[in-house]
Amino acid sequence: MKLSVSQRLWVSGVTAFIGIGSLLVVGWYSSSSVSAALANSQTIDVIDKKVNDLRFANEEVRLASMDVIIDRASKAISAERKATLDENTKFLKNGVPTIESFAKSAGLNIDIASLSADIDQVVKSSNEKLPALVLGGAPEAEFDKIDDEIDTTGGRIKAVLDIVAKATSDAQQHEVDVAVSQAQKSALLQFLIGTIAVLVAGGLMAWQSRNIMLGLNAVRRSMNRIAKGDIATSVDGTQRADEIGEIARVAETLRKATVEKERAEAAAQEARLSVDRERSENETERQRDEEEIRRCVTILAGGLARLAEGDLTQQIDDPFRADLERLRQDYNAAVARLSAVIGNITDQSSSIHSSSVQIRTAADDLAKRTEQQAAALEETSSALEQITITMQTSTSKAEEAGAMVESTKAQAERSTTVVREAMQAMERIESASAEIGKIINVIDEIAFQTNLLALNAGVEAARAGEAGKGFAVVAQEVRELANRAAGAAKDIKQLVARSGAEVQTGAELVTATGQALRAIGADVVKINEHMISIVNAAREQNAGLAEINTSIGQMDHVTQQNAAMVEQTNAACQTLNEDTTRLENVISQFRTKLGMSARAQGERPAVHAHTPIPPRAPIVSTGFKPAIAPAQPGQRPRTSPAQKLMGRLENAFSGSTTSLKSPVQSSGQRASTQASPSTDQWEEF
Amino acid sequence: MTNAIKQSGAYLEIVSFHLGDQEFCIDIMAIREIRGWAPVTPMPHTPRYVLGLINLRGAVIPVIDMACRLGMPMTEPSERSAIIVTDIKGKLVGLLVEQVSDMMSIKSEDLQPAPEIIPEAQRAFCRGIVALEKNMVCFLNLDTVIADELSMAA
Repeated sequence: MKLSVSQRLWVSGVTAFIGIGSLLVVGWYSSSSVSAALANSQTIDVIDKKVNDLRFANEEVRLASMDVIIDRASKAISAERKATLDENTKFLKNGVPTIESFAKSAGLNIDIASLSADIDQVVKSSNEKLPALVLGGAPEAEFDKIDDEIDTTGGRIKAVLDIVAKATSDAQQHEVDVAVSQAQKSALLQFLIGTIAVLVAGGLMAWQSRNIMLGLNAVRRSMNRIAKGDIATSVDGTQRADEIGEIARVAETLRKATVEKERAEAAAQEARLSVDRERSENETERQRDEEEIRRCVTILAGGLARLAEGDLTQQIDDPFRADLERLRQDYNAAVARLSAVIGNITDQSSSIHSSSVQIRTAADDLAKRTEQQAAALEETSSALEQITITMQTSTSKAEEAGAMVESTKAQAERSTTVVREAMQAMERIESASAEIGKIINVIDEIAFQTNLLALNAGVEAARAGEAGKGFAVVAQEVRELANRAAGAAKDIKQLVARSGAEVQTGAELVTATGQALRAIGADVVKINEHMISIVNAAREQNAGLAEINTSIGQMDHVTQQNAAMVEQTNAACQTLNEDTTRLENVISQFRTKLGMSARAQGERPAVHAHTPIPPRAPIVSTGFKPAIAPAQPGQRPRTSPAQKLMGRLENAFSGSTTSLKSPVQSSGQRASTQASPSTDQWEEF
Repeated sequence: MTNAIKQSGAYLEIVSFHLGDQEFCIDIMAIREIRGWAPVTPMPHTPRYVLGLINLRGAVIPVIDMACRLGMPMTEPSERSAIIVTDIKGKLVGLLVEQVSDMMSIKSEDLQPAPEIIPEAQRAFCRGIVALEKNMVCFLNLDTVIADELSMAA
């Protein structure tokens, strides 16, 4: 629990205040309830007195009435008695509301209405009837009667009033008891609360004051330590959250500041001492440096003088002072680098020399092969001539074959027409056969009818008896004729049917022939296409051969140029040799660590240079092959004319008939257009 | 009639015709006329073998399928079929036959009685059998074949 000192004090005060306050509240509450009970008791006391007065007045009225009755003989009522009666009856009447209100508040079970009636009757009897009787001198019986009436009524009133009086005294007693018990309870409660408040407040005070005192004592001890000079130990209680913690933190800050200050003073003292020491050391150093620089300059001057004489062997081995050491190293590096470069140049020049000798050998080789190439070109050219002639012959043969195929095709088409006509003739025969069949049917019918007629004639003849005998014979003859006609008709019918079947077969055969002829026609067309492609291919070949001829001519030309270039190369090699010798002489002026060997190499090529190499002498190269020159960047890859020809031949045989119209002309154009760029390209060699 | 034939002498004139595979013949004197096939008008409530009626020059006569009447399958009429118009007991009746084959005269001795094996009622159809060189021909008794039916119908 982190509380500041003021908060702690506040907590104690508030606890005490709460205790006292609760005591006050309890006291006020109990005294107010006691006083209320006492006030109630007083009210009831007043009512009690009034009831007693009423009882007394009632007795007075009865007694006065008795007196009046007793003195009836005088036939007059004294004024004193009359006044007493009036006063008391009025008092009685006025007392009724008081009794009524009390009875209602106390819950008494009394008949207020009958009480009021009784009082009214008493008042009436004593104040009106009695005076009238007395003044009128009424008989004795009347007086007895009224006397009884007043007595009984007065007795009833008295009884009621007695009850009320008893009630009032009871109520008063009750209120007093309430007041006493309330006072006792409040005293006990106040004592309990007071005790608890004192205990709680005392406990809190003790705890808080102990807490504060502990903190203060810790701070005080630390401050005392610092005051005595012990600043190394830190102040206690800085971690507290209250004002004491704050004091402790301030004290800690002050302690730290003191420590820092002492350290700074010690450092300043140290610095002052070291500056003094350095100053004296610098003075002696400067004198030493001047002497050293002088020595270095002398040595470097000697080295540079030797270098000017061309001596590259000397190095400066004596180390310089640190800041001039770089100078010495650079000198040594420059001398070493120069020496290496001179040595390198010597090596390269000898290498160039040997390379030039190799180039010379290669050039001679090249010259020999160029001659061989020229001879081979000659042979190729004559062979091509032969091929060209053969090609022309085969082309004319192929054209002839094409013409023959054309005529065959026309004949095949003609034969198709013939077949069609034959088919039509067959159909005509068929229709004629059908007509014959119809006619035969008619003949058959006639024969049948004739037979019937003959039968009938026979029948008639038979019926005629003897007379019809001759007629019967004739009828028989006629019947036989009819039968023969029917038989002949049947035979003809069979024959016609057979010829119809034959015609059918013939028609089928003719159709098959037509189909075969059509197939032949289609095949002939295909053969014709093939012949056309063959002819076209032959023409393409002719054009290709012409191109090859041109190319061979160009190759010959290039071969001549190559021979000339070989001559030039030989001359250039000679010049290169001489230049190499001169270069080696120049380099020999330098003396290097490898100086002796460099000079020896420089003399060797001079001996070689004097041995004459005959130009274009046949040198048998053993295993030496001239390096193939790398492709120059401007050079384009080109297809050779021979390959181009092959491609064109393939195109021709793939059977594109559309490109075959006037092939000689187109291929000739192509050859001429392609010849000029090819010559340009070949001349680049 | 039978007596009349026997009395008439040695020769007997007959007309033969085909019904199916068999050949039958009748007396020529019973025949009035032989005609080609013409369509007939069917009559109700008649036996199966009565094909119907035809008009013969104004006279209406019935046509009987002889094959059916003799217990064989019905004849299929064609252009070559014939109707033989006969006079049976004064009444004209047309007989449908497949084909009229011949007209011949035979000796009465050649007419042999039908074998006893056939029952009496059926034997009455046949007056006898004519044995020719190639085949046998049944001589039909038209009176029994047709006349009974006609009398019943009447």
